[in-house]
Amino acid sequence: MLRAAVKLTVTLVTALLWQPLLGADWQSEIQNSQLNFAASFQNLPINGRFKQFSVKYTTDQAAQPVDLQVRVIVASADMGNTEFNTEIQALDWFNVADHGTAVFTGQRFEIAPKNKAGIAFIAHGKLQLKGIEQPVTVPFSWRPIDHNQVSMSGELSLNRTDFAIGQGEWATGDQIGLAVRVWFDVRMLSNHD
Amino acid sequence: MSLSSNSTEGHASKESTEQWSWLSKLFHWATALLIFIQIPLGFYADSLRLSPFKLDVFVWHKSLGMLVLLLVAVRLLWRIKSTIPAAVAGTAGQKLLAKLAHSVMYGLMLALPLSGWLVSSATNFPVKLFWLIPLPAISGPDEALKSLASEIHEICVFALIIVLVTHIGAALWHHLYLRDNALKRMWF
Ligand code: HEM
Ligand code: HEM
Repeated sequence: MLRAAVKLTVTLVTALLWQPLLGADWQSEIQNSQLNFAASFQNLPINGRFKQFSVKYTTDQAAQPVDLQVRVIVASADMGNTEFNTEIQALDWFNVADHGTAVFTGQRFEIAPKNKAGIAFIAHGKLQLKGIEQPVTVPFSWRPIDHNQVSMSGELSLNRTDFAIGQGEWATGDQIGLAVRVWFDVRMLSNHD
Repeated sequence: MSLSSNSTEGHASKESTEQWSWLSKLFHWATALLIFIQIPLGFYADSLRLSPFKLDVFVWHKSLGMLVLLLVAVRLLWRIKSTIPAAVAGTAGQKLLAKLAHSVMYGLMLALPLSGWLVSSATNFPVKLFWLIPLPAISGPDEALKSLASEIHEICVFALIIVLVTHIGAALWHHLYLRDNALKRMWF
């Protein structure tokens, strides 16, 4: 009986200690997460953020990325002003009526040179936005907060015309720039604990 | 209302020859010109549907408006430093009214650009004045503040229009009816 209990405890403790090496599924926690973007006018930033999105991430035994999926509810874009928020939903911009979600899927992962923020990776994948799919590269850092919480952060730049965002009279970058900066800091929770 | 009825106030004859300084005149007419552009330009910009053109018109409106703020600030400093002509002959009530109208116009010429600047900042929309100088934001994105500032901006516009009608009317009345020096001393 005692032997069995000790054995069980040892097994459990070992399992717990080995946990990070067994691979894990991670899921974003929206309250502590941010997905921001900055369009520009006259080369000055106009900041916005997506209020609804989710990130799913899977690591293998060696804590290396094997899967990354980001889903963004495009209509949750908030540019700090009801007028803009309504405007960007329209056909020329995000056309949320037809394309409500944007999805990034990581297909190949690379370890980036180490930086201060933690372990860094580069996810090569495809971004589907406004019904258009384009290859996109997302660099991100992976910084542990505690045993089952990690902060995932990174920054990239997209060209809005690659996704037909800002069409018609807005298509030239003369006023509203073509480059859109995207940056994120997402709290990821492991579903093992 | 004639000069003789004011002889008790002493300065009547001196007043009639006094001129505004060259710089004061320049400030007055430059601002007047800008205000005459700004009021229709503001209504026009506001009436447009959102388009690249509208954004351009607003860059002009904001640029000229901030220029008014700069001019008025320098003008007020100049007004403190320089000697200004004594009031044009008139009853005590008229002088008071003129003084009041002038003060209110100075106040509105400050309040208009400042409230406009606040609208612009609270809207979360950046701007480069004359496509050159980035206008710093004086508030973060804030819809309630934007509505309030927008309300103030509009009230100031209507207040200015009312005072201006009086002001221009008074200037014309002096010039055409009283045939005194009031307008001439502000002209070149
Ligand atoms: C056709 C248009 C205008 C005419 C004929 C006119 C005429 C005059 C005249 C004759 C004076 C001198 C008053 C005096 O000597 O006591 C004056 C002063 C003044 N005007 Fe105008 N004006 C015009 C437009 C404007 C505009 C658009 C503004 C600005 C909103 C303005 C603001 C002022 C102010 C603040 C003063 C007082 C100057 C001081 O005491 O420092 N005026 N104006
Ligand atoms: C001499 C100064 C100014 C005058 C006479 C003026 C006049 C006007 C007028 C007549 C309107 C349309 C009516 C209204 O919606 O209120 C307007 C709107 C507007 N003005 Fe100005 N303005 C001045 C300065 C500025 C400045 C300096 C800015 C920004 C930096 C600005 C920003 C705006 C904005 C954003 C609107 C849009 C309507 C709103 O949301 O209130 N204005 N202005």
